[in-house]
Amino acid sequence: MLYWIYDIPTSTFAALATGLAVAVYWVGAILLRPILRQFVKRTSGANDVVGYVLSCFCVFYGLLLGLIAVTAYQNAADTGANVTREAAALSALYEDVSRYREPYGQNLRWLLRDYTRYVIRYAWPLQQRGIVPVDGAVRVQAFEEKLLDFQPQSPAEEIVHAEALRQFNTFLEFRRMRLFSVHTGIPAVMWYVVIAGALINMALVWLFDMRLITHFVLGGLLSAYLGTMIFLIAAMDNPFRGEVSISAEPFEDLYAHMVEE
Amino acid sequence: MRTWSKSDHEPAAGGPGRVSRRGLLAGTGGAATLAAARALAPALFTGCAAGLPRGSKPIVAGLLHSQTGTLAISETALRDAELCAIEEINASGGLLGRPIEARSPDPRSRPLDLFPKRARELCERAEAAAIFGCWTSSSRKAVIPVIEEYGRLLFYPVQYEGNEASRNVIYGGSIPNQQILPAIDWLLSPAGGERQRIFLVGSDYVFPRTANLIVKRYLAARGVEPAGAAYVPLGHRQFTGAVEMIQATKADAVLSTINGDSNVAFFAALTEAGLSPEDVPVVSTSIGEDELRNLPQAHVQGHLAAWSYFQSLPTEANRGWVNRFRREFGYDRVTSDPMEAAYCLVHLWKQAVERAGSLDTKAVREALQDDLRFAGPGGEARIDPATQHTFKRFRLGRVRPDRQFDIIHELVDPIPPEPFPQVAFPGWHCDWTADGLTQGEEVVIDGDL
Repeated sequence: MLYWIYDIPTSTFAALATGLAVAVYWVGAILLRPILRQFVKRTSGANDVVGYVLSCFCVFYGLLLGLIAVTAYQNAADTGANVTREAAALSALYEDVSRYREPYGQNLRWLLRDYTRYVIRYAWPLQQRGIVPVDGAVRVQAFEEKLLDFQPQSPAEEIVHAEALRQFNTFLEFRRMRLFSVHTGIPAVMWYVVIAGALINMALVWLFDMRLITHFVLGGLLSAYLGTMIFLIAAMDNPFRGEVSISAEPFEDLYAHMVEE
Repeated sequence: MRTWSKSDHEPAAGGPGRVSRRGLLAGTGGAATLAAARALAPALFTGCAAGLPRGSKPIVAGLLHSQTGTLAISETALRDAELCAIEEINASGGLLGRPIEARSPDPRSRPLDLFPKRARELCERAEAAAIFGCWTSSSRKAVIPVIEEYGRLLFYPVQYEGNEASRNVIYGGSIPNQQILPAIDWLLSPAGGERQRIFLVGSDYVFPRTANLIVKRYLAARGVEPAGAAYVPLGHRQFTGAVEMIQATKADAVLSTINGDSNVAFFAALTEAGLSPEDVPVVSTSIGEDELRNLPQAHVQGHLAAWSYFQSLPTEANRGWVNRFRREFGYDRVTSDPMEAAYCLVHLWKQAVERAGSLDTKAVREALQDDLRFAGPGGEARIDPATQHTFKRFRLGRVRPDRQFDIIHELVDPIPPEPFPQVAFPGWHCDWTADGLTQGEEVVIDGDL
């Protein structure tokens, strides 16, 4: 996949996708239109026939684009929700261990802070490059080790400890879901269908018998919109990549709370 | 039915030399297409947008510290100090125009098997340019052969017993002639109460054994005999016997090289026996700000610790570093002597690489020997070219109620490192700028005390 599109600014990516679609259409209008026109030139009312076919095609293609766009949005929304839940579970866990007697409480808070800082500073940039961060596991293990080391010495400590263990499991669940989401994306085969559909759409417009300048204007506008739609889907796809992606904001807010006096 | 535009039928107005509208459009379109293709080709075929810089390949620095297991709490703090330095360097433009990427595998507090294994992975797979790490002497000694095999540099930030030399190790912590012997001098001086009955207590492993051998011979050279000595296994929690020995020998001061959680039980036993810091002060060589968090304040207040750096050091440079560190890692985090050394070593490495202009170990080592200086939080950090150890200041701190230290004694000038004090290792000498390691007569450490 062309993952480099996520490494460039979104505005550049949008201009690139739109410009490329228009360029493809214009080049095709000059080079391919005369060839394609050969297939319909003896058909009476060719423009009407092409118009009917194009309308029919656009219904299916529009549906496909719409569904894919919804899927991409849903993926991003679900991943975003999981990230928020992981940060919330982490926050609750931080509060739980703050009630432990010292120095256990302080050591456990430091370890959670270390994990949160790692997620913001090191894990997130890796996720944005499509790499599953692995060093977080060591930090989680370090915390778990210390948590299980704690021996409650009163009924109150037992209750707090039980709640912390429950919250820790919740946190682990959402953390795992976040890591699974790093590779979430629309399958490559669907992208092939989307690109093929866009080319067929252009080819159908090339079949219209119009002046070249009219092709440039009308076909260019249609292609620009197709390019914009494809940009939109691609930008929302892969929830952790690019500028239009899930940010580490929930963790950043939590960390700001953790480090403040 | 095909429709034709006017230009398809009519000759271009103005004669054969004039360009038709269709021709103009075709020409403009073709030119625009070619221009667009030329502009977009690099982006499409190489994956980079024209005019946007590509990220340069990072320089890998290995941080070899335990993040789980018994040593994790101490070693994680060193990793954080090193990360702090690396992040500062990256924020100021990186190293040789490249970012530094920290790789921190977890040796899980297992010095003999996992430390060398992780070091090998860092050298082989990660191609680490340098490794900052280790805490215990056993882990350092296990890692050195790997570092030497791959021709890399290990930057070791913790105080240790000396009696060691490797061309591939840069030692950032204090050694006995910079930490323990000045503490002894102070105890013997009027300011320290002219104490003549110093009891030596330590954990039973290489650092306390070697340090106490040096202390014993140093005291002997000054006509003083130690009141006694006691060793307990690492992690031991029964100190009644040791405290009874301190009382029985009428010791007037204790030099402690006890490491780890055993300190909790040791200070509790001292308090229970009624030995106050005024009567029998304990000078610890392994208790810093981090360790104090785990000790009951009532048991340790008033006792002493010998280090080169304390968090309470009242200098602008130190306050700035402590504030930066706490802003990044949390308001209740503390800084300590090994952390300061770890932080300085990363910056010294950066300066050496920049001076060498490359990551080549030999060039970096030569640059490190070329009078590099870094203004660290505890003062100027400088490597001794002969021994590849660091010049260290000596400071003595007294434990305050807030688990920090009041600095009660400080030597003005940094002490040159002497990894083989002649009083204990006669004939041994290290000078990497000349003949390297010169060996003297064999010194048996175990059982000397």
